[in-house]
Amino acid sequence: MSASLEATRPAGQKKTFGKSTREIPHHTEKAKKWYPAEDEAAPRKVRKSIRTSTPRSTLTPGAVLILLAGRFRGKRVILLKNLSQGVLLVTGPFKVNGVPLRRVNARYVIATSQKVDLAGIDEKKVDEIAGDKYFAREKGDKKKGEEAFFKQGEKPEKKKPSSSRAADQKAVDKAILSAIKKEPFLAAYLASSFSLRKGDRPHEMVW
Amino acid sequence: MRIFAPNTVVAKSRFWYFLMKLRKVKKANGEIVSLNLIHEKRPMKVKNFGIWIRYDSRSGTHNMYKEYREMSRTDAVEALYQDMAARHRSRFRSIHILKVVELEKSEDVKRPYIKQLLTKDLKFPLPHRVSKAAGTKLFVGKRPSTFY
Amino acid sequence: MGDAEIKASSWRLVEVGRVALIHGGPSDGKLAAIVEIIDHKRALIDGPSTDTKTAVPRQSIALAQLILTPLVLEKLPRGSRTGVVKKQWAAAGIEAKWQESAWAKKRQQKERRRALTDFERFKAMRLRKQARFEVRKSLAKVKASA
Repeated sequence: MSASLEATRPAGQKKTFGKSTREIPHHTEKAKKWYPAEDEAAPRKVRKSIRTSTPRSTLTPGAVLILLAGRFRGKRVILLKNLSQGVLLVTGPFKVNGVPLRRVNARYVIATSQKVDLAGIDEKKVDEIAGDKYFAREKGDKKKGEEAFFKQGEKPEKKKPSSSRAADQKAVDKAILSAIKKEPFLAAYLASSFSLRKGDRPHEMVW
Repeated sequence: MRIFAPNTVVAKSRFWYFLMKLRKVKKANGEIVSLNLIHEKRPMKVKNFGIWIRYDSRSGTHNMYKEYREMSRTDAVEALYQDMAARHRSRFRSIHILKVVELEKSEDVKRPYIKQLLTKDLKFPLPHRVSKAAGTKLFVGKRPSTFY
Repeated sequence: MGDAEIKASSWRLVEVGRVALIHGGPSDGKLAAIVEIIDHKRALIDGPSTDTKTAVPRQSIALAQLILTPLVLEKLPRGSRTGVVKKQWAAAGIEAKWQESAWAKKRQQKERRRALTDFERFKAMRLRKQARFEVRKSLAKVKASA
């Protein structure tokens, strides 16, 4: 037992019995008369540690990526920033292929050798978006009252994209869009989505 | 003694085996002083080899003479073991190589299967070939073209 | 019954001096000349190209790994050494002849196509589409006028 644990134990009582004094342990320290019929479930200790991740060498900002999973699978997007824990911040740009500013897992991505010039991009905005809070879920009132229960039949109001997000999207994409326009076919390339055709061997392809 | 063996351990063992057949010597009474690997002098030249062997078949012992066309002496012996295994189901242990000779003159070649390769201006087509190109499918609607 | 006309076959032959393309193995896709026939399944080859990248070391190789080309080094003596082969190879201009051939060009094009990146593949697809459109347009015009 460690000393710190010892200290947190509730102190016992000293009682005199005739001539001698004896320490009576606190009642919580005493052996219990009965045990709970079922074992209390103790949460398992996580023995993994969070380590810093190093992104693949091909995942440099400005690279065109092919998303492999999720709602936008097959889309070709542009990498803005490497976040921690193998997460990437990407953008469509939204105007080109409908992919918004989004975080994706680096594992579910193919990096192509094509690069888009990110010069003149609003770095501050990107850093702000890359922060922890930007994509955090809004905490609404969770409690569903009786009213909500009776309203189940009705369609809930559709969540609208917030105007601040739309503005951020525009601010970030502005410089990228002008860079894309310079290269012929690039806009069409980003708008098209990737898929395997007959006879394609992805492990032998050059990206 | 020239011994054809896959490694030095087998070579030493075969040495004592053959020596005991020649003289009354045991391994306990002797020591191998040196063992050298003999390399082919001209490994980039095609040569004809004649090999005399003694081989124990299932019913008796036979002497044989065979010819091989190879780049080196060891290749010829290797080919011999494969050939003997194929034609007579004989093993390494039942074959004694008596003599391996390089046939320098083409008149010395006796066997027709080597003689036919020594004809002047030898040429032949490869009339039937099944090409195994990568990426071809297992089941196809067309028969392969073997014309070449 | 008509007269049977007998013609010599136009097979490419395994012979001394025949230039062959190696298919498979470490020197895949390189050119070498047959120096000597070892037996019905093997030959001794030598590819003394001046460029070290396309040179093939003298070796015995299975005929199954060779694809015979129409090029032949005439008058190559049987079993000649690398120096002689090199001289004849250069004198016959095998390298240049091979590069000119449609076969080599096709191989080169295939190689190039295989090395395209994803974006380049997309561009090639788009350009081919444009070319096709132009061809069809003019064809339709001709058809309409005819």
